[in-house]
Amino acid sequence: MEAAFFELRGISKYFAKVIANKDVSFSIQRGEVLALLGENGAGKSTIMKILYGLYKADEGKLFKDGKEIKINSPKEAMELGISMIQQHFSLVPAHTVTENIILGNVHGIIEQKLLGGEIKRLAELYGFELNPNDYIRDLAVGVQQKVEILKALYQKTNLLIMDEPTAVLTPQEAENLMGFVRDFTAQGNSVIFITHKLKEVMSVADRIIVMRAGKVYGDIKRNETNELELSKLMIGRDLNWITKDDRQESLDQEVRLEIQHVTVQEKNGVPALKDISLTLHKGEILGIAGVSGNGQQELCEIVCGAILPTKGRVLLDGEDITERRIRARIDLGIGYVPADRSSDGMIMDMSIAENMLLKSSYDKKWQKRGFINKKKLNQYALQEIRDYSIKAPSPETIARGLSGGNQQKVVLAREVDNGEKVIIFDQPTRGLDLGAVNHIHQVILKERAKGKSVLLVSTELSEIFALSDRIAILYKGEIQGVFNSSELTTEKIGLLMAGFREGEVSNDAG
Amino acid sequence: MQAKLRDLLITNILAIVLGLVASGLMLLFLGKNPVNAYSVLITSVVRDGYTFADIFVKATPLMFTALAFAFTYKANLYNIGAQGQFYIGAVIAAAGSLLLQNILPGWLVLIITLLLTIVGGGLWGAFVGFVKARYNSNEFLVSMMSTYVALAVMNYSLRTFLMETKAEYPQTDALAESVWLPYMIPGTRLHIGFVLAVLACVGVWVLLYKTTLGYRIRAVGYNAGAAEMSGINSKKLYILAFFISGALAGVAGFTEVNGVQHMLVQGFNPDLGAAGIGIAILANGNPIGIIFAAILFGALKVGGTIMGQMSGIPSSIIELMQGFVMVFVILSYFVRTWLENNREKRKLQKAVAK
Repeated sequence: MEAAFFELRGISKYFAKVIANKDVSFSIQRGEVLALLGENGAGKSTIMKILYGLYKADEGKLFKDGKEIKINSPKEAMELGISMIQQHFSLVPAHTVTENIILGNVHGIIEQKLLGGEIKRLAELYGFELNPNDYIRDLAVGVQQKVEILKALYQKTNLLIMDEPTAVLTPQEAENLMGFVRDFTAQGNSVIFITHKLKEVMSVADRIIVMRAGKVYGDIKRNETNELELSKLMIGRDLNWITKDDRQESLDQEVRLEIQHVTVQEKNGVPALKDISLTLHKGEILGIAGVSGNGQQELCEIVCGAILPTKGRVLLDGEDITERRIRARIDLGIGYVPADRSSDGMIMDMSIAENMLLKSSYDKKWQKRGFINKKKLNQYALQEIRDYSIKAPSPETIARGLSGGNQQKVVLAREVDNGEKVIIFDQPTRGLDLGAVNHIHQVILKERAKGKSVLLVSTELSEIFALSDRIAILYKGEIQGVFNSSELTTEKIGLLMAGFREGEVSNDAG
Repeated sequence: MQAKLRDLLITNILAIVLGLVASGLMLLFLGKNPVNAYSVLITSVVRDGYTFADIFVKATPLMFTALAFAFTYKANLYNIGAQGQFYIGAVIAAAGSLLLQNILPGWLVLIITLLLTIVGGGLWGAFVGFVKARYNSNEFLVSMMSTYVALAVMNYSLRTFLMETKAEYPQTDALAESVWLPYMIPGTRLHIGFVLAVLACVGVWVLLYKTTLGYRIRAVGYNAGAAEMSGINSKKLYILAFFISGALAGVAGFTEVNGVQHMLVQGFNPDLGAAGIGIAILANGNPIGIIFAAILFGALKVGGTIMGQMSGIPSSIIELMQGFVMVFVILSYFVRTWLENNREKRKLQKAVAK
């Protein structure tokens, strides 16, 4: 048998407190699309970073075409034809496409025109529409990703590693990316796809490596498996998936929150939100779908009081709360689980108990003779740790030491208690593993059953569909329409998210 | 936990020893025998009660300026201007005492003067916090520059309304004995300002870690964005943190003027602010740790002066020593993290091998 293009044999990697990889072995053939499937923290990224020379393995060997190789840095990896596109792009926003692509591979005088032409030809070869002179900061995320890919192609890559490449893309953009992957591998190149989305795996991969807790649990051909088997391998147990039938129809039609003709003007004059009107009822989940960066954050911040609208009003139970700031709105019972918990939602260097106190430090209930009532706070935190099955030894555990899912549960626990009337969830499950996602979905539905109103912002369509009673689509700060969730299909919502209006959609996709 | 505490003690002691060894090497360059020099240093500070007590006298203002730096540091702000706030406190302490000493009983003057220095130093510091909150100015630069303004204020007042009656030197008249801070041990210079400083350390610790205000200050320090999102007004806290910080440094002026100098001399104790920063870093910003770090610096200062007098070694070698100790203590923090990580890794590998 012909030797594999690249092979990893018995790779182990230990970090201070975790085993990132243990005895990982697999190979990739020329012209193959390999999917590396696993939950967050399964060790997918780590093993790829070892192959890319960012980390050094503690045990094990690497081979190329049957010969043992050592990769000590990304530079050496690139010389071997390996490129990796990180989850967070490494582009310089203030530079042009050309400048970014040649970064690190150019010496002396830069011949802009010549290089620009070269890059344009390369882009056309794969059907990318790109202007080499555009600045990165002006480009959409999907286009930026193409620049990353071009950068790899420019370096004559034969093995392209992509870490969660579709996380930031619209369904259409993701489809284009899959097309590229097929073209690229058809020429004898290989692609490794790191992902935790089963659907993508089934649509593009030739072979699938399933990882769990740092080890390989499956090395299967795509056409010999199915999504159910993969998900079992990935999680190690069966999941209790939420289906629509589990939910009850909303009984209450009483209006809780009203957003009336709200406009938010950015400093540069561009409106982040344009004349938005939404109504949220008691015991209802209103899903906000859209590609990230289309005004979702501003919408959440309007409701939680972090920014004030330039025009328009916000009403809670009929009372005008437009001018109330964050602290007043916390007291009114509006909870907010922000998209970026590490920058907006919690304090990583403080303990779980201290994080529970974050929004209610002015509240007398946590004070005793002017001091923090630590005993009561710890008891409360311990209760929450149990209720939300947060994996932490004690309330004194520092938040930074927790996994992403457990950190999110801490924020969730706090906000569910704070938000007595309305809870805003902005991307509540982004980047979390399936077990945590499942748990968080259960919590959201439970709060809805209690009669709370939920504003659910998500770029994950499956999440929007699974939970929402009604769905509004945001595009460039405008509402494209509000629908009952049964009225929408994935295709239709995808087009709405891409900027088509309802009328145009029904003609195109029905 | 056991291993952690062991690491902490060993690395810190090792850091101090290494600091002394490194400065010992410098002594060799001067052609002096470091072993002799160090034995002079150690024997000199314990040779009599007066000298030994002086360690704590020197440590007193250092605790205050170190607290001043550590307090804003907890809010992720940098108060480099403790020196200036100290001078403002000193001017107010001298002016208040001289003005009131013949009108009111001594103990009352002391209390009023203390409160005035708190307010004065506090307001001087709060200005830095205010421009930071209002105009987003760089507090590092503003606080640093405010020291020079404070120095000018001191010089101006010593040339005008505070100048001694002889009008010879830029200094005040001596304070009446009734407004001196009482001595604690007869025959030494140790005054109750030391107790005040220790209490301030404990107080700041309680404020930071036991009250909701301190909690909010730390929250803003760690992550101002998340604090704002939680309805905490970080700008208000900037001003408040700088007020408290300035007040702490201001009190150092009170203890120095009323406790040690008993008058105000132009440009005295010019390195209190800088040393305070060093001590705060040495103690990793922990108010209780500051007590011990300040005493260590006080001992070095007292010993260094005597060493300079006795063995012909320039007393500035002590500053070198302080610098080396600080460098090694900071390095020890990274060594500890490295040790900790390695230990965890070995534990893990062992567990896997079984």
